[in-house]
Amino acid sequence: MIFDLELNNVGKVYDNGTPAVIDFNLAVAKGEFIAFLGPSGCGKTTTLRMIAGFESISSGNMFIRGERMNDVPPQRRPTSTIFQNYALFPHMTVRRNVGYGLEVKGLAKAEREAKVERILATLDLEDIAERKPDRLSGGQRQRIALARGLVVEPDILLLDEPLGALDANLRKAIQNELKLLQKSLGVTFIFVTHAQSEALALSDRIVVMNQGRVEQVSPPHQLYTRPNTPFVAQFIGRNTVLSGEVAGSDGDDIVVTTGIGTLSGRANGTLANKGIVNLVIPAEAIEVYPAARRDALATAGTSNLVDALIERSEVVGHIAHLTARLQDGRSVSLEAHVDKYRPGDFPAGSNVFLSWKAAEATVIPAH
Amino acid sequence: MNASGIKVSLGLYTALFIIFLYGPLAVLAILSFQTGPEGGPQFPIIEWSTYWYKHLFGLTPPSRIAPLPIEQALVRSLGLAVMTMIVSTVLGVTAAQAFRKKFRGSGVVFYLIVLGMMVPGVLVGLGMALVANALGIDRHWWGTAFVLHVVYTFPFAFLVMLAIFNRFDPSVEEASWSLGVTPARTFRKITFPLIFPGVLSAMLFAFTLSYDEFSRTLFASGRDLTLPLAIYGTFSVEVHPNVFAFGVLTTLFSFALLGTYAVLMALSVRRAKRMAIQEEA
Repeated sequence: MIFDLELNNVGKVYDNGTPAVIDFNLAVAKGEFIAFLGPSGCGKTTTLRMIAGFESISSGNMFIRGERMNDVPPQRRPTSTIFQNYALFPHMTVRRNVGYGLEVKGLAKAEREAKVERILATLDLEDIAERKPDRLSGGQRQRIALARGLVVEPDILLLDEPLGALDANLRKAIQNELKLLQKSLGVTFIFVTHAQSEALALSDRIVVMNQGRVEQVSPPHQLYTRPNTPFVAQFIGRNTVLSGEVAGSDGDDIVVTTGIGTLSGRANGTLANKGIVNLVIPAEAIEVYPAARRDALATAGTSNLVDALIERSEVVGHIAHLTARLQDGRSVSLEAHVDKYRPGDFPAGSNVFLSWKAAEATVIPAH
Repeated sequence: MNASGIKVSLGLYTALFIIFLYGPLAVLAILSFQTGPEGGPQFPIIEWSTYWYKHLFGLTPPSRIAPLPIEQALVRSLGLAVMTMIVSTVLGVTAAQAFRKKFRGSGVVFYLIVLGMMVPGVLVGLGMALVANALGIDRHWWGTAFVLHVVYTFPFAFLVMLAIFNRFDPSVEEASWSLGVTPARTFRKITFPLIFPGVLSAMLFAFTLSYDEFSRTLFASGRDLTLPLAIYGTFSVEVHPNVFAFGVLTTLFSFALLGTYAVLMALSVRRAKRMAIQEEA
């Protein structure tokens, strides 16, 4: 199978010797929506810029549709890039901005104009086509940048934090538009972001990066429920991470001895059966019970019972927020619909215990 | 010191600044209206007249005061300034473009370029004369002096362009490349239009610096004098107010140049504003 994009052990070392990207491996199928997610400085933008050709590749190989791209200059790569600041040409009208990339493609004028007209219509830009971009709103400029990038019919569209400069409401709306546009065009999108909500909402697969390395490549749901590494467990969602030692197994579950008791979770992938591990418990999996029910639950054979003290309890709108302190001093934040944790059920200072189903927690290597 | 004290001293400072800036010019301008040919370059004004302006253009009856020998020199100086402006601006833009990326030895090259505006002009001029003599090259305003003018004004153009590129957002160029446009075409269609106001400033600097240049030109220009040298030459005999009249005219010419520059600069701004007004309407 020929992938739209293939990165084999791609690395980037800056001139001063700092490694920015280390052994990046990824194969992207046509029409996939891939997000590069990670904290700033993790190498996600550098990787995107290597794909675009703005940064040289220090090691490894990169292929687009089977063709090696390492030494191909940006203007000869079948990619186009959407920048965070949109990088529109301020001295050209919207129409000229959009049509600019076609001017050098050797198309007949009529064909060129038809293409521009079509993309302007698709992105609802016809009314502002004769305007200059500098006085237009963020959302409009965003769409101009998209139109300009898409009209040249790239194999891969590269987007560098394209929603970063928009306010929250607009971001939500454009996020949906972007997803629909991508599905209808069938163009491969590579999307760089530091906002996990964007990555989770938009992409088919997420590449989580940290300190120049790929931590995990997974579909959003899997990334959320089954993190592979401690970094991903901390970075995605709201997980409680307990370190411990493998004590044995119980069916599909791994039993782990931790500082606050013997607990269990499901192993993710291959895990050395012995040794130091992390137990990752998503906030959504945790149930809270009043201390009085402990004996009843223990008798019923409920596993993973952990004592805790409610530190803070409040209701905002229809969401109840609880903060519980575990015996080892760490805090766990929980939230649920107010019907589940009714005001007054768990006042601050009350003793409770927490529990979760072993299948919803994940046991991962400690590093 | 209290607030009004600060205000007063700042006001005084500003007044002094303006007096020192414009005082000499104002004196020349006033004296240029001295009567002629008997009136000299000093106060009081015997009688207001435009005699010396007419004298400049040869419209007065012949008198013992010879017309200013500047006609040829003016043409030479303008020609030299235009040549210098073109070459220095091209060099300044391309050199600043090169400095957008760090390259090996960029620090040394930077100081080598900037040295051109730091070294004492008289010494460079003299040095050029000696080198030209040693190599058997004739000194001319369009040769040896021109080279020195470029060496002198190129750093100014370079520094202006460096500042412009410093604020330039390189992602518009990357956007252009990523749309399939070659770097050369990108420079013409995207980069150059966006840095054009800076290019105008660089041109203005190079032109005015060259037009006024005295010390470097003194030894390097050979027989044919440039305007500053020609005017200086007339001082050695006797100073008449015709020089002042000429000074006023040159200053007006400079203002006209600045005005053209301002209009060109304002043009893009006004265009943007017009768009905004249409939008609001």
